[in-house]
Amino acid sequence: MALVHIKDLRKSYGTNEVLKGVSLEVQPGSVVAVIGRSGSGKSTMLRTINGLEIFQAGSIEVDGTHIKGFSKAALRELRLKVGMVFQQFNLFPHLTAGENVMLAPVVAKKMPREEARVIAKAMLEKVGLAEKFDALPENLSGGQQQRVAIARALAMSPKVLLCDEITSALDPELVNEVLAVVRNLATEGMTLVMVTHEMRFAREVGDHLVFMHHGRIHEEGVPAEVFDNPKTPELAQFVGAISA
Amino acid sequence: MMSDIGTWDIFRNLLLSARWTIVLTLTAFIGGGIVGMLVLFARTSGIKPLVLATQGFIELFQGTPLLMQMFLMFFGLALFGLDVPAWLAAGVALTLWSAAYLAEIWRGCVDAIPKGQWEASSSLALSYSEQMRHVILPQAVRIAIPPTVGFSVQIVKGTAIASIIGFVELTKAGTMLTNATFRPFLVYSLVALMFFALCWPLSLWARHLEGKIHGSRAH
Repeated sequence: MALVHIKDLRKSYGTNEVLKGVSLEVQPGSVVAVIGRSGSGKSTMLRTINGLEIFQAGSIEVDGTHIKGFSKAALRELRLKVGMVFQQFNLFPHLTAGENVMLAPVVAKKMPREEARVIAKAMLEKVGLAEKFDALPENLSGGQQQRVAIARALAMSPKVLLCDEITSALDPELVNEVLAVVRNLATEGMTLVMVTHEMRFAREVGDHLVFMHHGRIHEEGVPAEVFDNPKTPELAQFVGAISA
Repeated sequence: MMSDIGTWDIFRNLLLSARWTIVLTLTAFIGGGIVGMLVLFARTSGIKPLVLATQGFIELFQGTPLLMQMFLMFFGLALFGLDVPAWLAAGVALTLWSAAYLAEIWRGCVDAIPKGQWEASSSLALSYSEQMRHVILPQAVRIAIPPTVGFSVQIVKGTAIASIIGFVELTKAGTMLTNATFRPFLVYSLVALMFFALCWPLSLWARHLEGKIHGSRAH
């Protein structure tokens, strides 16, 4: 039974259709890597999974929760199950790393502060930043900020974690520390859907690779096979352009 | 005789009446702040009727002279048999007028918070009011302080209009003293000086706060 069901998803901005019927199933514990050119619809597809983007047709179901009508209650229920990490980190700059992680458990889940603090400490330790609990985001490096953002998402114990180009805004030398955290999550069995430009990482950690092109899933399959034997010229060209 | 009033008496009387300018300013600032905050929440809620209603409120109070608002509050309600004392009409009109401006100033500050902050807090299952309270407002307040203090200068000067409906604050006291002493230049110079003494420190403070916030911007 798949954890995330996306069926015939269609979305337009005005007359510009950015998703032209996307269907995808994400199995629990699997890592789905989504690649494609900018403008191919990969980020938009990812953002529909937690209701940051609305869509006009099709359906999305996450762990039994249907996104229908985009009511506030439905979105809240959905977002309690889906975590998200952004390209620009989006940490709350007025809160310390620890408070960033504690906020949602305390506010959205009504968890006692002490309990949330224990969880926040554990999550920061998981991403290797236990000693940065009281640091403000502005005093952390980009890589550290992104790891705090991952800890913040994990503190809500999501069923699935969405990663939207989470290393694209990082200096090259900081990419690996973030990827190492993601690799650990994958090993622990966290379900991940990640839009990425890190082809090697997608191949190494991904269980399923999705290549998006012009608002459609153009090709998909086991990463090594898809990379080594692209069936469409578009993917061959994309893979060639990346590795060249 | 009234014309025996000396310069010192003029000064002393003006100073006493300046208390009412301060009281009216504080009333309008605090009342306007509370109403303005409610208007801000309604304005940014995304709920259509609330957005339209607050938009109308803001347009109405920003698009008409404060003087007319005070007249309507004072004379208009009297037509319906409601006896509104001058202090109440002035207080209510200035409060609503301040609320309309403060709500717009603060909305600009809320809009200045990056979209990523809304998206991150949305994806953490926070509701609109939780986002506002824990994520958006704490950041917006920081940038809102200098323009808010700056606007308080406008409120101080706005209180002068209450003199027209007979509320005895600094300006009205000046008019009364002029009528009694026939020394308008002296009296109104003192009135202007006292307004300046109230407004200038506020302006300086606003500028100081602005410098402080821009200086501490790390990103």
